[in-house]
Amino acid sequence: MEACNLDKTYGEGEAATHALRGVSFELCTGEFAAIVGQSGSGKSTLLNLLGLLDSPSSGTVRYHDVDAELLPKKQRAIMRNALIGFVFQFHHLLPEFSVFDNVAMPAYIAGNIPESEIRRRVEETLTMLGLEGMGDKNANALSGGQKQRVAIARALTNQPAIVLADEPTGNLDSVNTKHVYELFREINAENRTAFLVVTHDRSMAEHTDRILEVSDGELVRDERSSGIAF
Amino acid sequence: MKPVLSIRIAWRFLTSSPVQSGLIVAGIAVGIATQIFVGSIITSLQDSLLNTTIGSASHVTLQAIKQSDPIRLTPEIERILATDPRVKPGSVAPIRSISALYSNGTDSASLGLIGGNLKQLQGIYKLSARTVEGRASIGNGEIMLGRDFAEKFGIHAGDSVSLKFQNNETGSFTVTGIFDLGAAQFNLRNAFVSGSVPQNVLGWSNDQYTQIQLQLVHPYDSREVAGQWAQQLPGISVIEWQGQNKDLLAGLTSQAMSSYMIQAFVLVAVALGIASTLAIAAVQKTRQIGILKAMGMSDADAGLVFLWQAAMLGVGGSVCGVLLSMGFLAVFALAPIPFQIVMQPAFVAGSALLGVLVALLSSTIPTRRTSRLDPIEVIQGA
Repeated sequence: MEACNLDKTYGEGEAATHALRGVSFELCTGEFAAIVGQSGSGKSTLLNLLGLLDSPSSGTVRYHDVDAELLPKKQRAIMRNALIGFVFQFHHLLPEFSVFDNVAMPAYIAGNIPESEIRRRVEETLTMLGLEGMGDKNANALSGGQKQRVAIARALTNQPAIVLADEPTGNLDSVNTKHVYELFREINAENRTAFLVVTHDRSMAEHTDRILEVSDGELVRDERSSGIAF
Repeated sequence: MKPVLSIRIAWRFLTSSPVQSGLIVAGIAVGIATQIFVGSIITSLQDSLLNTTIGSASHVTLQAIKQSDPIRLTPEIERILATDPRVKPGSVAPIRSISALYSNGTDSASLGLIGGNLKQLQGIYKLSARTVEGRASIGNGEIMLGRDFAEKFGIHAGDSVSLKFQNNETGSFTVTGIFDLGAAQFNLRNAFVSGSVPQNVLGWSNDQYTQIQLQLVHPYDSREVAGQWAQQLPGISVIEWQGQNKDLLAGLTSQAMSSYMIQAFVLVAVALGIASTLAIAAVQKTRQIGILKAMGMSDADAGLVFLWQAAMLGVGGSVCGVLLSMGFLAVFALAPIPFQIVMQPAFVAGSALLGVLVALLSSTIPTRRTSRLDPIEVIQGA
């Protein structure tokens, strides 16, 4: 994944707010990186642009050398579904559906994965995340930590190239936070899935391999981290 | 695969809010039931009125320009009547009419004698079905009297009556049957006899008649049919029932108009109800749609979710509406009403289809709103 000179401006003229200015970096297969910064620094804006949920005012986002900004809306949606897994701070599960259906939803949306394969993937992922036997439960009936694990499982269903996580442990206690980061690490090591985790907690970022720091919309630091274990 | 996902999501959204979904279905059901109920009653009432008025009467009548002159049943007229598909098969009756006077010694009354062939008269007057006493028969020396006339003079089947014709000759007849055509005036003033009775009185040849009466497959075609025949048959007067019953037609038309108005307002109310509820449902599900779009669901597929919801609500509501209308009509039929209510399958199917279409149309706003929703609005607004 490559971000090239990303600018994002909200509003026009004197009322214009520059959320991002000239942000560029690359993320390779299997990398585990964190984006850190103060509240309002532009971390989430950057993640939304990288996740093709939003479009930059200028600059481009490339996946496998394909410029996402040149694609029509429908193709961007397909690219998002196939290459990117999302984990949000508020888990964003669908309360009307079971745990199984929530996790399977990206595969259902893809529309080209056989039911048997979807079942295999979902059951495997739920087991990996310690949610075996919970497939039939309603997503609303889970604890906060369990919901976030379901959200992680959902992000992995389509075996994405990259998982973008926005404050994934923002609503969790320290025990669950540790568990989530360990899971990320495990998946990263096992599947070579790249992770880009937005966090305002610098100590958490120290557990990743690379730290990107955003301040006032600019990328002010990009350095390797020690990647210390919990 | 993708339409199936939209259907699954739509179904789950509906079943996750059973009370809300149930209320929408109930709203559509009541609307469609009212539509079918009102429509069926008005249609049945109109059919009943129409049947009472012209069910046993001529729809189109051919006669000479001067009423007292005979009309000849020429080969050309026979050809026209035999080949026009709008003429109801077996319902052409050439008749001869004369007036007669009945007297029982103390009281007297004039009587119009309709003479013809029983089989042909059946096609118009359904004499067998409408005979309330005795049997339908008008052979030589036989007569069928109307119920009101028979009651007035205390005559029964099997009695003999003597009549004085317009040429002052007299004739004696055996009453074979008493008929009731549903119109007291007709029953009181008319009687059926063999065609030879008026023929002899009038001194006409075998092809001369007072009128040629007939019924049509569709009674409302009478105006068009009469217009065409009047051009094809110059010198002959063509009379049709609509021209003779303008007040009845005005009444039927007004009734139909009021029925259409009621049905239209009911449909508008149903449409507004569904549209507003679906719009609220769309707002309630904005977060979910945003999440689905973030996961890669296309705008079109997201829009389909609400279209499917509308289709499910429309089908469910319409089916319940049809069942409800059957219940309404069954209860209504218990009341002492003078006509039979008939549910026309085509009308019921049309009303149900209309319910589904109204529901689909009502989903336009939420469908468009959902299609346009940007997932970032949901993700950022969380």
